[in-house]
Amino acid sequence: MLSQYAAELCMLLIEDHFGELFARIFSILQRYERLTLPRLKFYSRLNDKQLRHALAAMIQHHLIYHFTSLEDGNTYYEANPQAAYYLVRSGKILQLVEERLGEYAARVMEAILYLGHASVKELEGRPELRSRKPMAPNGIKHEEEEPQENGMDMEDGPATTNGDHDGEDKPAPFHATLKALASHGYILRVRDAHFQSPADNFLEAQRAVAARSDIKALKGKKQEEAIREKAQELVQERTNGDLTQGLMFNGLPRGVKRKFSNGLANGQRQNRQNGVNGDHAEDEEEEEENEWSEDEDGFDNIPMESGLVVRVNYEKLDVALRNARFVDLAQQDAPSATAEVYACLLRRVEYITPRCRDSEEIPREKEEGEQFSTPISVQTLLEDIDPSLDLTGALGPMDPSQSMNRRGKRPLENGVDDHDDADDDEDEASSGAMRAYLVNQHLGLLSQPPFDLASSVTLSVGPSKWRVGFRGLARKLRHLELERMIESRFGDVALRVVRVLQAKGKLDEKRLQEISLLPFKDLRQTLASMQRGGFVDLQEVPKDAQRQPSKTIFLWYHDADRVCSSILEDTYKAMSRTLQRIKHERELERDFLEKTERSDVKGHEEEYLTEGELERLQRWKNKEALFLAAVARLDDMVAVFRDY
Amino acid sequence: MSESGIGELASQLYDACLESYDTNHLFYQQDFLSLDIIPKNDPQLLLKCTQQLVDQKLLRLHQDKNERLAWKIISREDADKLQNLSADEGLVYNVIHSTARSGIWVRAIQTRTNLHKSILDRCLKSLEGKNYIKSVHNVKYPTRKMYMLAGLAPSEDITGGAWFTDGVLDANFINSVAGYIEYTVSRKSWFEVPADRGRTAKRIKTATGKADVKSEAAEKTYLPYPFNYEGYPTVQTITNAVNESGITPVRLGEESIVQLLQMLCFDKKLVELNLKNGTAYKSVKNPEAVKEKQSRKHPAEGEDPGPINEPGKSNGMTDSPCGPCPSFRLCSPGGAISPETCEYFDPWMEKNLAF
Repeated sequence: MLSQYAAELCMLLIEDHFGELFARIFSILQRYERLTLPRLKFYSRLNDKQLRHALAAMIQHHLIYHFTSLEDGNTYYEANPQAAYYLVRSGKILQLVEERLGEYAARVMEAILYLGHASVKELEGRPELRSRKPMAPNGIKHEEEEPQENGMDMEDGPATTNGDHDGEDKPAPFHATLKALASHGYILRVRDAHFQSPADNFLEAQRAVAARSDIKALKGKKQEEAIREKAQELVQERTNGDLTQGLMFNGLPRGVKRKFSNGLANGQRQNRQNGVNGDHAEDEEEEEENEWSEDEDGFDNIPMESGLVVRVNYEKLDVALRNARFVDLAQQDAPSATAEVYACLLRRVEYITPRCRDSEEIPREKEEGEQFSTPISVQTLLEDIDPSLDLTGALGPMDPSQSMNRRGKRPLENGVDDHDDADDDEDEASSGAMRAYLVNQHLGLLSQPPFDLASSVTLSVGPSKWRVGFRGLARKLRHLELERMIESRFGDVALRVVRVLQAKGKLDEKRLQEISLLPFKDLRQTLASMQRGGFVDLQEVPKDAQRQPSKTIFLWYHDADRVCSSILEDTYKAMSRTLQRIKHERELERDFLEKTERSDVKGHEEEYLTEGELERLQRWKNKEALFLAAVARLDDMVAVFRDY
Repeated sequence: MSESGIGELASQLYDACLESYDTNHLFYQQDFLSLDIIPKNDPQLLLKCTQQLVDQKLLRLHQDKNERLAWKIISREDADKLQNLSADEGLVYNVIHSTARSGIWVRAIQTRTNLHKSILDRCLKSLEGKNYIKSVHNVKYPTRKMYMLAGLAPSEDITGGAWFTDGVLDANFINSVAGYIEYTVSRKSWFEVPADRGRTAKRIKTATGKADVKSEAAEKTYLPYPFNYEGYPTVQTITNAVNESGITPVRLGEESIVQLLQMLCFDKKLVELNLKNGTAYKSVKNPEAVKEKQSRKHPAEGEDPGPINEPGKSNGMTDSPCGPCPSFRLCSPGGAISPETCEYFDPWMEKNLAF
């Protein structure tokens, strides 16, 4: 059951995307929960035709779950608020896909988003995906993203595009792109169970499991446990639409161009299963020699199974978006080269992380265990890191005085490698061992406070590996969002007080003053205004039964869980208010906007509109963009508080 | 033995005690006898002598945990003072004396001496008039009236430590020392790239997170040290640096500095590192950024703080008109306060579209 504001927001989003009819049905389903068709018809006062059409389309978009009970034969409809909410994130998803896999991949993704779910055949037939547009000559071919600041990839650009120079009027690499999307896990196979709500799936699985003879033989508590366990497994099996299996190559998804191959890479080939397509087992050998996507007649042209129905995998995309937030954190205070190394680590981690967390809800603070990613070795990272990235220049030397003596003569390399035993040959600096050492250095910097973004694990054999502690970082993101709000509302003094309370738990005023070193007057004012805002709370501990104020201890505390959930609600509310306002603004400009949207005017604005009108249109577009940007930024917060 | 004989013996004993022990020594019977002044080590005689000294206020009676009798010597000047006091005043003086640097609350004196309040007040007044005791301010209990001997400096429990002046937290002092510490630590936790030919341009590029906060006058680039760098300043070095800088009128102890360092950690200006050679501190921002921030903050004290433009300081909520809206809770479509009639959206739009 959703809160008031979340429900309101979902309704508004659907209205914005699909119009009033859908929104009406959706809000009725939210208000009354599960309904059969006759009840739904009664409440919505729509005619049969409207209702059936709308329901079919909404099911296509996964906005509604439906479930046909075997007991009474009725079909129940239920709102799917997650899918409705994710509508707001589609822009971000497309941007991410474009960054990773190129403009054409983003268009494929857009088509899938637009259709809700679609079969491969259907997608292939869509006119907008037939050709790659001239504006995107290298479609799926996408080099690993370089940070914009890095000037060193200049010579890299032309080299990678020239493979495609002659291919501008070629048909679009539709299947290759789809495979790239699938192997990244950004899309998944639609299963029947996806159309039913998670609760229905679980109950159904429970029933199925309970009917099994081996389960029936068990008794009492043991039976209950076995049913629960097996039902979960069954649900997982039924909802698993993973397409990445079998499309990964050396732990790398398709569509990622490797910078240089390393002999070691073949040693760590992952255990691959032949998954959904079954047709690429023979292509893998071939592929090992070639870098994918430059190979004209290799793997790419083998089409994907045309009956396969795909949809967007939001869970996986959340992982990618969350990783982008982690990289932002690294960029704030660390050198850009370090951030780039970190981005490579996170990319590797992304490939093997199916979802942000395993539990449904975010656990309470301090009750939450750490959940680490699979460790990644430095050797693997070295394959991904751009060889032209200057790793040496971004870190200071171990011993400042020494390098000062030799200033002007590469002080940095000197400082770094006199720690290592590789100082005999300077030429080594760019070679493997040296680079591995440097990557370790960069990640080491991030493993320390104030970053705490990665940690190393040393196994009994082999070099140390690096991993990321997701839960701690997700918590850090949450706290950062809270701190930003507190600072902007109550100032930096309040920030200090909250951090003290966060670290120490419950404190009385005197102790709080001693630690925060703030004058009583400021402290009291800050605490009072924060209490009004709901960021801190006061607990009374009476010393006697009379509860006299003079004999009572008052303790201040900051309950991050509570604050987070109330901020989340506020965020939903702010999002819906912004959407409502934009609706209102649109209403004000309706006559004018209707004119610009007339079929004869649309696309020919320059011809039909006066200069004043063009300006007005531009102003409106800016305004709309501003509002939508505000909503998107609020969505970033929702992601932090709810999804990561 | 005659009275005068005892008197002589007593003063001999007192002098010997002064000579062989320090003033804080707790004397037991053995200590006196071991001085070889009392003939035949006669306990009766010793008792008489000590009694006389106690009467003359040259010795103070104590009782240790095992209820054994013990004495402490009092200097002659103090004894003179005490001799001039009335019996009640002496009683009060002794109680105040016993609490030494921590001071004592008036009500506690009353319960311990069992004097009537008016008598106690008179005694305190006269003692204060003679400048024997002084009243002190306790940060923990600002409403309590407390006394201690005039010659003593109040302990840190009473004053709250180095950061309190007259029982009030000295915010200006704290801020100036904190600013100094942050800058000092920052200088030691970033590597300043020596400006040399040809490499400068490249350096700036590698340090782009910070390039924009640099001031244009000094083209300095700072690089972080490798993660196993051990040269970050410790509490000791920071304390020394602060004391040598001359920004504090008094010498600050390490404890006070630790208190301040922890505050800076809570401000996320410094971070604590646990190195092999103990706890050290590292600054989050490089010296240039620290300096700029501090110089920007001071003149802007009275002015409007203005929008926060630093990256990472704002989010969707702080930038949306709903975030700071005072009536957010009341807002609902169609209500008295509604998104349609909201007066914050238009200024927000103007402001953001101006860019």
